Amino acid sequence: MTAHQPPTPPREAITPGGRGRFPGYDVLEQSPTWDDVTAATVLARLRVTGPPRFFTASEEAVARPLLDRLLAQDEEPRIPVFEMVDARLADNQTDGWRHEDLPDDRQAWRRSLAVLDTFAVQERGELFGPLRRDAQLELLEAVRTGDRWQGLPAARIWDLWLRYACTAFYAHPWSWNEIGFGGPAYPRGYKNLGVNRREPWEVADADGSDPLRSP
Amino acid sequence: MSSVRDRNASAWLLPVDGTRDNHALRRDMRRFDDDTEVDIVVVGCGAGGGVLTQRLAHAGWQVVAMDAGPFWDPDRDWVSDEAGSHGLYWTEPRVIGGSDPVPLGANNSGRGVGGSMIHFAGYAPRLHPSDFRMRSDDGVGADWPLTYADLRPYYQQMESELPVAGQSWPWGEPHRYPHSPHPVGADGEVFLRGCQRLGIPARVGPVAITNGRFGNRPHCIYRGFCLQGCKVNAKGSTLITHIPDALAHGAEIRADSMVSRVTLDERGQASGVVYLKDGVERRQRARMVALACYSIETPRLLLNSVCGRFPDGLCNNYNQVGRYVMVQGAAQTAGRFDDEIRMYKAPPPGVSSEAFYETDPSKDYQRGFSIQTVSPLPVTWAEHVAAEGHWGEALREHMRDYIHWVCLGVLCDFLPLPGNRVTLADETDRHGLPVAHFSYSQCDNDRLLMAAGQRAMEEVLEAAGAAHTVTIKRYAHLVGGCRMATDERDGVVDRDLRTFAVPNLFITDGSVLPTQGSANPALTIMALAARAAERLGAKARR
Repeated sequence: MTAHQPPTPPREAITPGGRGRFPGYDVLEQSPTWDDVTAATVLARLRVTGPPRFFTASEEAVARPLLDRLLAQDEEPRIPVFEMVDARLADNQTDGWRHEDLPDDRQAWRRSLAVLDTFAVQERGELFGPLRRDAQLELLEAVRTGDRWQGLPAARIWDLWLRYACTAFYAHPWSWNEIGFGGPAYPRGYKNLGVNRREPWEVADADGSDPLRSP
Repeated sequence: MSSVRDRNASAWLLPVDGTRDNHALRRDMRRFDDDTEVDIVVVGCGAGGGVLTQRLAHAGWQVVAMDAGPFWDPDRDWVSDEAGSHGLYWTEPRVIGGSDPVPLGANNSGRGVGGSMIHFAGYAPRLHPSDFRMRSDDGVGADWPLTYADLRPYYQQMESELPVAGQSWPWGEPHRYPHSPHPVGADGEVFLRGCQRLGIPARVGPVAITNGRFGNRPHCIYRGFCLQGCKVNAKGSTLITHIPDALAHGAEIRADSMVSRVTLDERGQASGVVYLKDGVERRQRARMVALACYSIETPRLLLNSVCGRFPDGLCNNYNQVGRYVMVQGAAQTAGRFDDEIRMYKAPPPGVSSEAFYETDPSKDYQRGFSIQTVSPLPVTWAEHVAAEGHWGEALREHMRDYIHWVCLGVLCDFLPLPGNRVTLADETDRHGLPVAHFSYSQCDNDRLLMAAGQRAMEEVLEAAGAAHTVTIKRYAHLVGGCRMATDERDGVVDRDLRTFAVPNLFITDGSVLPTQGSANPALTIMALAARAAERLGAKARR
């Protein structure tokens, strides 16, 4: 097994929007220990760029802010979630199944984006994209808590959006820096199993506060 | 060990140079012409088809085993990465419905040689003796036309061939495992601690993961990516546990071959299969046919194999094909700890308890559940956080807390119901074949079980010191759809997995299970296929 030599990897402990609890932790520093096939797959995510191959320009104008709001990606550096979802749909890398009351994932994306614009115009008199961030958040919360939404099953649309958004975001090594995940582990594996045990390269949680505990 | 190697030398046929695939064995594989009438064509190379292929090839049969997916090479094809493992799943179009629709794809159906075992966690428990007589003892579900004792020797064979690692098992019929238990990760440590404080027995294992060298297979390296295909060759799947020996005994594995229908001759006997390879429709002649495409695709293939004698689908003359498909209620409950857990380290399959497996007369439900560590990686963990209703800033904040959580899963013994069924949808796939529609609805007993399972996990995690718990309701595994029965009015195959309707057509996959228990199904599917192969071999010996 030859060690992989990634092309000038950014060794900067980047996290999306600069958020995180593991100061200085950069999973990409481990990339020379990854097998070649895995390294190629993961590092390609650092180079995802447009232009879109699946979404049309008007769909992009809805999908981009939608995905940013779903993942609170309000500041740079951003994980290119829009580009990753676009590529996945363009390549038809869907899970295949569909609910009997929804079209397949690709059509469900197109329809739901169009409907989100219609909804925004109806509720706010403007397309979704140009709306202020707080107005967008309010509209999305209405979708999440709705039952039927503009003729679509709201919960299933919400699930579709969030599933694609999270699969892209948490596949990207910058998000692993943010949450302290160890990333690929072949052929290295792990040596230190057990509560409060770390590998030499893992970084301790600098915050440790419980988001569910009332302040 | 010598008896294992004599029966199945797969582990000794794998390379020792650090690569994971015996390229010479594949290159020199015997290849049959379509026009050669082979002894048997096996459709699907997963848990059931892989074992059947190995057993019959080993006995000298001419076997062609087809799979719609690829002949995987772990070095070249698999990655140590969640999103990059999408190709391991069956992602052809399917339609789901019913009051509790079951998402397919990523979680519960495989693709390629090794089948779902490529991405199964690795848990390999047996069913309990009670699972075989539920109708008689508990008044629900069905009785099997087999007993536990009929399957016991095949369970033992499979446990030694996988091999399975774990502590001595106190539940069902108590038994031991060939490999000693693995060290546990923090998730397993917490689970054991919670169980101990409550007086609930729990055990390490049983997992189909080598603990020590086995043939040429190395020790597990505890990298945590069992569900993404084991690049180490430590976790068993038929790709490495049975196919190498099948190749060495002259079987042909014909990958990337999508079987579209089973053909019958004028006497009503199966005469082979029609399949699509590289966009061309071909036909393989065979003296016998065995289907092992699992609970959705086996019924679909039968329903797509219409002919004059079976206008409603092959073997569907008693309206049984596709019925009684089961999924296990598989809620997952996670607990939050101030300690750093890092559940991504060590194999997700670690520790189990079957303390709640059997019917408890003091409860208002029949049957029970098992509890296991599941330890999702980040993409899957995000589903748990999203299921709590979190999104945006809250989702990010809860995800940043990932390393503090321990996640357990239940497997609830959901009951077989006739309306939970695979039928054909109106739409067709890229080959022009009608796709499967899978309708699923729970019954009251199912809902009570799932709630009880969730409560048990919450109690264990709280006893271990969790500050809070969260639960996602989901399903795992698929079985049933062409169930085994004593009589053709109640099922599709007999106890030897021979279809009632066509005497030289067999079904050797999870679709034959009449009930599912609270056990992960792979080991039982393999044991059933091994038994069917032995019965076939015995009968063919004239």
